[in-house]
Amino acid sequence: MVSYKGVDYGKILKRYDIGAQNEATPESIAKKMLPSDPVYKKVAETVLYMKFKEVGPAVTEALKTKAPLAVINDGLVVGMEAVAKLYAEHIYYLPEIMMAAKTMEIGIAIAEKQIPGGRETKGVVVMHAAEGDPHDIGKNIAAVMLRSTGYTIIDMGKDVAVVDVVAEVKKAKPMMVTGTALMTTTMTAFPHAAAMLVKDGINIPFMAAGGAVNRDFAESFDLGIYSEKAPQTPPIADKVRAGYDWKKIRAEWENIVGGA
Amino acid sequence: MASTKYTKMAYAHADDMVFGTAKSPVSYGFGIKVGAGRVIPELNYAPRPGSEKDAARLKKEYVDYISKDVLERAVTVGFPDVQMETEWVSQMGQPKMAQPVVEGQKAICEKFHEEYGLNCAVRHTIPDQREAEQGLRVGMKGSHAYPEHLFGCADVACENGADVLSCETMGGKEIADYATTNGDIVAFLFGIGYLGSIDMEYVWSEFVNIAKKNKTVAGGDTNCAGANTSMFMAGGFLDNDVQRTYSAVTRAIASARTLVAWECGAAGPDKDCGYEGPICKSIAGKPTAQEGKNCQCAHCDLQGNLMAQICDLWSNESVEYHPEFGGTSVQCWLGSLGYEVSLMNTAIATGQEKTLRDLYMISDRTRGPEGHILAYDNAYKIGEAITKEGNNYYLRAKAAGLEAAHIIKASNESKELALTNKQKDVLLSMIKELEALPTEESKFFEYCDKKYSELIPNYHKKNYGL
Repeated sequence: MVSYKGVDYGKILKRYDIGAQNEATPESIAKKMLPSDPVYKKVAETVLYMKFKEVGPAVTEALKTKAPLAVINDGLVVGMEAVAKLYAEHIYYLPEIMMAAKTMEIGIAIAEKQIPGGRETKGVVVMHAAEGDPHDIGKNIAAVMLRSTGYTIIDMGKDVAVVDVVAEVKKAKPMMVTGTALMTTTMTAFPHAAAMLVKDGINIPFMAAGGAVNRDFAESFDLGIYSEKAPQTPPIADKVRAGYDWKKIRAEWENIVGGA
Repeated sequence: MASTKYTKMAYAHADDMVFGTAKSPVSYGFGIKVGAGRVIPELNYAPRPGSEKDAARLKKEYVDYISKDVLERAVTVGFPDVQMETEWVSQMGQPKMAQPVVEGQKAICEKFHEEYGLNCAVRHTIPDQREAEQGLRVGMKGSHAYPEHLFGCADVACENGADVLSCETMGGKEIADYATTNGDIVAFLFGIGYLGSIDMEYVWSEFVNIAKKNKTVAGGDTNCAGANTSMFMAGGFLDNDVQRTYSAVTRAIASARTLVAWECGAAGPDKDCGYEGPICKSIAGKPTAQEGKNCQCAHCDLQGNLMAQICDLWSNESVEYHPEFGGTSVQCWLGSLGYEVSLMNTAIATGQEKTLRDLYMISDRTRGPEGHILAYDNAYKIGEAITKEGNNYYLRAKAAGLEAAHIIKASNESKELALTNKQKDVLLSMIKELEALPTEESKFFEYCDKKYSELIPNYHKKNYGL
């Protein structure tokens, strides 16, 4: 083998990941973000540190002195917001997001039982992977992220026929529909579905995402909006909930996803 | 057909491996000889959106535009060999869409071979659209009946003139997706190393039969659905979803699974996006297709030079057909591939192939854990770990993962390979988890079956005949 002793690789191809390593800890973020009230803090910490065996007892204990909605919003959701911050700062990664979301969902399920009529959803989103496309990992990650921020998800799965997507939207009346595609020849299902929705007078944003999809394509048809990565989905959904239509989301897209 | 497991290495030493030469070369198509002393460019492409609307349009796109452009450019620039790879779009699951494309590509290859003496061939890679929730095996009667379609597509490809038959099978993906999003290496070992290998044996036993019947060469598979998913989610230096130590270990595990196609009688070349190719080649000595720096049209990776080290076919992965300043996209990317291959072949012709191999490899050796374990000397060590447990899918996949993890750890400790703290934490945790697993396959299965049945709704052991 050719000798490579003494080669300074940093001058050939650099390891930016080593240089950009973030030395901050979850604890330092927690100090800034978690509530001071010890009851809420304990609940939030179970989410932040992904303690899914401890979240149940912590929430049950909190419910003895606090209202269920407050336990959710001031404990569980605050913990998840700290997790999102850790993710944005490259301290936490996808597995931590998934485990924290799972922990939060366990806690929410317990607290929700004590809210008459259940917890109010932020909105319903129909999600699917395009007809002919068996790849749905991105859709699944986005679904977890939306669910953990309070949205109700109708997950239609993968390889979903255009007519089925349209029928589900008519039935469920969601605030937004999303589709993912890995191939350029399957993403062509999205404008077909969107055109059928428009024809039937349905004017909700149709989020197109996935490996094959780019912003140009997503914005090439009426209703179409784009999401490049799963973490961008909740901030976009928040804007839809705030009353933005697909045209306004397109116009302000950079600002909306900038922090995601 | 029973598979014959590899329990010995094809090569006595890692240094014996080099690009352009395989222990068992393969000939097919119009004058193509892979692994016989020359690297061959393999050009892959995707049709423009809309061309899948009807059979006539799709045939025109693949044959009259894409294939003609590729073959003409090969002659124009002076490349002696070119292989094309048609990765079927989902619409080609219907024979009326697929048949004209396969026949048309065969005919145009013959024409260019006769007119110019260009050595050429077409690999057809058919889509695996099986879904775990609908059933992975023939006769399960899911609403899509995709298992039946999978073998039907292989029939259509081979009966109509495919030179090489390939596939990117999806067995175990339902577990692997969970594993990667949750950072669960045991789940990946179960999904890809164990269930994926069982599924490969099921699919490739039949594929080899179909190919033989039609005198087509059964090429091989790739763990695109599993190890590539984790590699691309680990991404580059600005990405932050999955740790690169995790993706490196998944790659090693995947190699034990990809090998199964060859154990079932496939002759190679395997698939370009199977980055596990160097490990598989070290074990079997069959030709490997690889991709790296010349596949930037499809995606980037952190081992673009290294992947060329011991390839027999060198690929661009895939490019959508469209115009560029220098011609059509397929012509431009063939130029990029062909000149790279000409450099490798010049190195072979002048006796410098091992030097060039080493330069390719050294360039990316310390760029990250994924490339590090695929450097040919390390790939060889992982191959040895697999062959020591060659007869048992579980044990060999576990051995591959552990060997890769130990190589990364040792290289980090010797300061050859830098890791971030997080990459190191994940690495040490994976070693602990893999080492704690039982030595008996039955105990491993019992543990995983129970655990993942509860966690993953679309996991069903009957999909694997269990």
